[in-house]
Amino acid sequence: MAEYKAVRVEAGRGGWGGPLTIKPSDDRKLIYSVTGGGIHPVAQRIAELTGGEAFDGFKSSAPFDKIAVAVIDCGGTARVGVYPMKKVPTVDVHATSPAGPLAMFIKEDIFVSGVSPENVKEA
Amino acid sequence: MSPPETRYATTVTAVGEQVPEFAGQGLLIWFAEGAPEELHFFAILHRPTVTTGGVRAGDVVRIDDKAFRVTAVGEVANDNMVNLGHMDLKANGATEAPLPGDICLEELPLPEPRPGSELVIEGVAVAADPHR
Repeated sequence: MAEYKAVRVEAGRGGWGGPLTIKPSDDRKLIYSVTGGGIHPVAQRIAELTGGEAFDGFKSSAPFDKIAVAVIDCGGTARVGVYPMKKVPTVDVHATSPAGPLAMFIKEDIFVSGVSPENVKEA
Repeated sequence: MSPPETRYATTVTAVGEQVPEFAGQGLLIWFAEGAPEELHFFAILHRPTVTTGGVRAGDVVRIDDKAFRVTAVGEVANDNMVNLGHMDLKANGATEAPLPGDICLEELPLPEPRPGSELVIEGVAVAADPHR
């Protein structure tokens, strides 16, 4: 059994939603980065602080029930809604607000945006 | 006049079940093949051949035999396109992109791409205009 710690993720400048508290578990340990250019620094920091496992969603796939948090670099339309719709806590590194065809799933208790590594703190 | 520069070119490989509905609302969501499976239901998956990027207002998006003038480009749209093959094409005629990922097009009915459909984005060469 691994030891996991919780982090608090706050909205950054111009961001929306949150704060979210993220704590992985043995069942949900993936810090799932769905971003361009590999694991995003925000996902890397969440993984380092929590003990979760950084995972590149564009390299291989993972079932939703293994994901502790999804980190996205969404421009506001598509990815922002998909993970909240599946009840996966979602961190957008861009400062987006609820919009797009899945906007109804984007709520403060499951989504936070505008997040930089310094907005991720030990809880 | 310089010839148009190809900023992006790609061929559609699969079309998600929600794409016709979104197309009817003036929205086409694109991701390169290899995007996570949870994004497939609303996306046009494709295999790009040119990924230069640098799309901006005034460029032309061609989808098969239809052409659309680009009216605005959000600040992260080019990064998403080049890195992930991801585009949010919106036929809303906006002259300022409402969202950072948007590529806004003139307000015309969008086609429903099919496997084998081709998208090309053409831009006019920068050197042609000394005021830029």
